[in-house]
Amino acid sequence: MIPSIRLHPFTITLSFTLLCTALFVFFQPFFKKEDLSSSFPSSLLQLNTIFLSILIEAIPFVLIGVFIAGFIQIFIREEQIKKWMPKNRFTAVLASCLIGACFPACECGIVPIVRRLVAKGVPIHAGVGFLLTGPLINPIVLFSTYMAFGQDMKMAGLRMGVGFIAAVLISLLIGLFFKHNQLKEQPVEQEASAIPSKIAFGVRLWGMLTHSIDEFFDMGKYLVIGAFLAAFVQTYVSAQSLLQTGGEKIPAALVMMGLAYVLSLCSEADAFIGASFRHLFPPSSILAFLIYGPMIDLKNTFMLLSVFRITFVLSLLVLITVIVFFCTNFLPFL
Amino acid sequence: MVFQPHQVFKALALTAFSLFFLNLHTSGTISKYVNPDYAWLSLCAAYLFFFLVFIQFFRLWSPKNKHSPSCQHDCHHHSRRKYISYSVLTFPLVTGFLLPPQTLNATIAAQKGAGLLLQTENKSLPSEHEEIAVARREVQQAEFDQRINALERSRVIHLTDGVFEPYYGQINADPQKYNGRTLKMTGFVFKEKSLQTNQLILSRFLITHCVADASLIGFLAEFDRAVHLKQDMWIEIEGTLAVTSYKGISIPVVNITSWKEIAEPKEPYVYPLYIKLAFTHHNASFS
Repeated sequence: MIPSIRLHPFTITLSFTLLCTALFVFFQPFFKKEDLSSSFPSSLLQLNTIFLSILIEAIPFVLIGVFIAGFIQIFIREEQIKKWMPKNRFTAVLASCLIGACFPACECGIVPIVRRLVAKGVPIHAGVGFLLTGPLINPIVLFSTYMAFGQDMKMAGLRMGVGFIAAVLISLLIGLFFKHNQLKEQPVEQEASAIPSKIAFGVRLWGMLTHSIDEFFDMGKYLVIGAFLAAFVQTYVSAQSLLQTGGEKIPAALVMMGLAYVLSLCSEADAFIGASFRHLFPPSSILAFLIYGPMIDLKNTFMLLSVFRITFVLSLLVLITVIVFFCTNFLPFL
Repeated sequence: MVFQPHQVFKALALTAFSLFFLNLHTSGTISKYVNPDYAWLSLCAAYLFFFLVFIQFFRLWSPKNKHSPSCQHDCHHHSRRKYISYSVLTFPLVTGFLLPPQTLNATIAAQKGAGLLLQTENKSLPSEHEEIAVARREVQQAEFDQRINALERSRVIHLTDGVFEPYYGQINADPQKYNGRTLKMTGFVFKEKSLQTNQLILSRFLITHCVADASLIGFLAEFDRAVHLKQDMWIEIEGTLAVTSYKGISIPVVNITSWKEIAEPKEPYVYPLYIKLAFTHHNASFS
């Protein structure tokens, strides 16, 4: 485990860095961006811009996520989690939803964290509770919703309240249907265990950092695929046609949820988009848009698929859709 | 000591990510992707990547046949699959370095359903929207009010980038109040299919966080020479605000009195005022 901090690799690594920087500096002028861009259709460049912007927005949060995941992996022992976790399923779900609500995260940063927690023995229903409320309920989302809806607390309050109830219901149902941890790769005995606290802090910190790097590369490719598909849909699929065909036959809430799914917006940035549809759809559908988006979207589905079994991800998708639809349509008007 | 090729790949990829994020900042293209008020996040990411490159250097060589817990993901033997997945990760780096960012245009506006904003049914704006004067206690409220007051008083309303979003909201909430005032603004021409030949929407994209969440905001403009203005053309106009009724809703309309074509501005997007104020206040309290 001791990191290979030896002197001799230093010379090679140093030359390696120099080589990289040199390559970057020298090759940059050769790629005349304007020349190259003229040979591409404008829509492809727009697609690329949206694709990269989603990545640039998401990567800082994913980095924070993998650091926390690394921390959990190395510093938290299974026995501790067993001790903290309430035995009763309902209290476990409620506790995890509350912790998620206090934990400011975005939907891409939270996936690696939940993966580590579940690998460490957190029951799947508690993991899902944390996954759902983490991005949905936090001060930044609350504030941006408040501002986007003309400084009115009603929509922001409903988003938090109804969202919380929906998250608890979904997690409880997941607890009913799924018993095991649902991870794609079952954690190996050695993998799941933290480095014992006997070992020096520096070594454990090292383990945490290297683990974070591996986690980033594990997650990264799914983030890239998800971001690309979301950008593709934004560029080539007309929201207008989706909304117009939907308006007649399909309930408005489902149309808005579909929009939230394909747009894959970050939860602190979707409020203005939601607000811009205010005069087209009833408030309950806007609420469905605001609750559904942070819980699941196209980009997020791909990240979940990297962690969990496909049947589990699909059932979660269906459950979220059904529960959010019913909660937003009936709950606020009771 | 054994040399680890896939660890080299990871080191290279991390370096490239770090350089990519740094390059966005040094070249200033970052504002084509995300709201500049959030740019510090990606700068942090650049430094974090750089730090990870440093960590990764020490993993390029590992002791022979020694499986440590920290390398469990790599010590499996799916090397070909691994390289495919790595190439997925490098894809955004390649397009990011090679292709220039492009400002969102009218095609995207149409895809985003911006035209629908005019094809509304008879659902008027919810009443709570108009009550902007509710009691508010945020720290930046004083400055927000100050800007809105300037709007109330002035004869000529100048929609500069900094106040575009709040002024747009105010004027749309109560178009009658601003009837007859002079409006100066810049924007690009967006011609929606349902518009008449003398009409266009003079628009800007509002970016909350990144261009993926852009929404189109703009004023309906009327102008007998509108046919000469092409889609996506950037213009600077002066006009008079009036009120028109569109399917039962009163919306503001600008009757253009003078206009000139301009180059695309350096900052083509506008940003919500509250984000700016929240960050400036945050910074001020530290300095």
